[in-house]
Amino acid sequence: MKRIARSTLQTAANLIFFALIATAVLSSTYYLTRDTIAQSVERAKLKLVMQIAPAELFDNDIMRDKLDIPASELLGTTDTTTAYRARLKGEPSAVVLEAIAPDGYGGNISLILAVRASGELAGVRVVSHKETPGLGDYIELPKGPWIKGFDGKSRAAYKDADWKVKKDGGQFDYMAGATITPRAVVKAVHKALIYFDENRDRLFAETAEEPEGLK
Amino acid sequence: MWSSPFISAPASVSQIMLRVIFAMVPGIAMYVWFFGPAILVSITLASITALATEALMLKLRNRPLKPFLTDNSALLTGWLLALSIPALAPWWLVVVGTAFGIAVAKHLYGGLGNNPFNPAMVGYAVLIISFPAHMTHWLTPHGLEGIVLSFPDQLNYIFHGILPASTTLDALTTATPLDTLKTQLHLGLPVNEIRDMPIYGHLAGKGTEMVAIGFGLGGLYMLYARIISWHTPVIYLGTLFAIAGLFHLVDPASYVAPTFHWFSGAAMLGAFFIFTDPVGGPTTIKGRVIYSAGAALLTWLIRSYGGFPDGVAFAALLMNICVPLIDTWTQPKVFGRKGDGK
Amino acid sequence: MTFQEIKDIFYNAVWKQNPGIVQLLGLCPLLAVSSTVVNGVSLGLATTLVMTVSSGTIAPIRNYIPNEIRIPVFILIIAVLVTVVQYLMNAYMYGLFIVLGIFIPLIVTNCIVLARVEAFASRNAALPSALDGMAMGLGLTAVLGVLGAMREVIGKGTLFSGIDLALGDGAKSWVLHVIPDYHGFLIAILPPGAFIGLGLLIAAHNWFNLRAAARRKAATTESAASASVAA
Repeated sequence: MKRIARSTLQTAANLIFFALIATAVLSSTYYLTRDTIAQSVERAKLKLVMQIAPAELFDNDIMRDKLDIPASELLGTTDTTTAYRARLKGEPSAVVLEAIAPDGYGGNISLILAVRASGELAGVRVVSHKETPGLGDYIELPKGPWIKGFDGKSRAAYKDADWKVKKDGGQFDYMAGATITPRAVVKAVHKALIYFDENRDRLFAETAEEPEGLK
Repeated sequence: MWSSPFISAPASVSQIMLRVIFAMVPGIAMYVWFFGPAILVSITLASITALATEALMLKLRNRPLKPFLTDNSALLTGWLLALSIPALAPWWLVVVGTAFGIAVAKHLYGGLGNNPFNPAMVGYAVLIISFPAHMTHWLTPHGLEGIVLSFPDQLNYIFHGILPASTTLDALTTATPLDTLKTQLHLGLPVNEIRDMPIYGHLAGKGTEMVAIGFGLGGLYMLYARIISWHTPVIYLGTLFAIAGLFHLVDPASYVAPTFHWFSGAAMLGAFFIFTDPVGGPTTIKGRVIYSAGAALLTWLIRSYGGFPDGVAFAALLMNICVPLIDTWTQPKVFGRKGDGK
Repeated sequence: MTFQEIKDIFYNAVWKQNPGIVQLLGLCPLLAVSSTVVNGVSLGLATTLVMTVSSGTIAPIRNYIPNEIRIPVFILIIAVLVTVVQYLMNAYMYGLFIVLGIFIPLIVTNCIVLARVEAFASRNAALPSALDGMAMGLGLTAVLGVLGAMREVIGKGTLFSGIDLALGDGAKSWVLHVIPDYHGFLIAILPPGAFIGLGLLIAAHNWFNLRAAARRKAATTESAASASVAA
């Protein structure tokens, strides 16, 4: 009995010893890489933002000038998202929003879009999607330039009825055989612009106020 | 001089295959009538590719060329594939699909008789996965709005990818009746409103329903000539009718009528020409009943809920996979042994 | 260690018992990340690093690990190494880290890592064990690289696409466009292409072996024949 107890204790001690070494190695690696990882994540995000909001559009630290946006029907979001504000010489120049097109062929299509203070789109990109490869995936770069068709479009230039694919009588291109996907994206971008118009002042508010009044 | 026995020699593989090909003629005739002669070009292309690939593979495998080349099975594969893809497909699409079907799905598995999967359906699956955009360019049937290309223009597109100026692919082609149904249901339209759209005719899609009837007639000839047994087509079409009918009765706004399923897509082609393929099918009659019913269920499921508009090809491949299992289940017990024969 | 021993370890790992096409271990990452050369080789090298270090660390301490808890301890050590690799890639190869995603942490569950530790490192000295781990990892990397190359050329017509994710933006110009103006044969990039490609590689491996065996047999009968003639 005593011998079994002793060997059990020994095994346990052995395991604890290895667990301690493992913890030490892991925590030191974590601390050594923590800052670099945070930088990499931020750099990747900035790279994405810079694709749609060109550098000449802002001189502020755009990754720090952020605002929590509660879930919104117009944006198609079901969780709180983050908006980044671009400012030039202190004046608001553009805002970067996240939006979701819920009615893609394969489900949700996540978008990121930059809207200039004038209400004109600076650019749109697809962040993630589950559309059919080779058919509906031309909405993402570099598989097709389609998404760049949003550059410079605004609700001032296009009436609400124009925010459709050409097949449905609107102004936006599509590829024969895959209309569901662009239809969903155009609709989502249009709704995001409506959201921008309705919440323009709050989106650019200098201080990070309580975003309670946002719809 | 006549002498007994008066029993005709069983038809050779080559003769049977030739009669199967002959039975496709009414369907193809309808195809040409409603969609123009482009399909004849792809059938020719597929035939040449099928025979060339067959010859190449036989040579690589050190097999005699003549008996296998003349058994017409490669030709049948080519024709089935050509009929499954859009007629206005670029030439390389037909060539790649046929060559893949014959080289990989047939010969890498040991050639005729050993291939578990229907080579034409493998070729089709490869094409629809690899080139989904090209596989949606179905010609608009004659008599509908849209431009009809002249035959030289069609050839020019197939071989050079050039359309006449002022014509777009979009104006020439249309989504298939099954595809349109799926898209419109997705947009929330009820079935009866979708059926009023101009591309639909009496039974299913304009033009395509007649092609399906053509293949059905060819199938009846094969039944009459005893080339195929009645089990597969009757069980397949019957099961498809039963499932589709049940759901159509319960919710007619979301599920189309069973006749629509019969006369659209490749259902008729499948019932008589694809699921009847003896190579990839089960060996017993009981097995063939299970096989056909399963194929019908899968066809309906993929059409109603799947990511692709038509489900016949995938149903064929999935049921091909099940054949060894079905054969084990339905193998008759050996006389004199008890239980499962162990 | 003699040169012959080292040669044996490498021949065994890369050809005779190749984890990818002979043992068929670690198929999940093999099939999932081999869509391009860069993805395949990157995950292969990450696995090689983990295998070398885990075999190399476990071998010298093998006599101190009680037999009953050796598997948990092995897995613990492997998991720590994988997590370290994951942190490093997250910090210094962020683009690649995102592309390889879940398959980096999944190296822990790759059977080949534990298999080599259990079969080799727990019975051999440190240096041969580390070499064995490395050789097995390189064998897997080779398969991942070849499969990735096949799938990338056939599927996209390029080679080394995405190399900038591993080596920085400067490497962008290294991408080779093997077939210009290519439509893309999508099935090669998608999961079915991985299975078909792996099948072809296994067939090629078997074909080489059969041919070598046939030649050996021919050579022995020939020498036997000439011997009998001489007699």
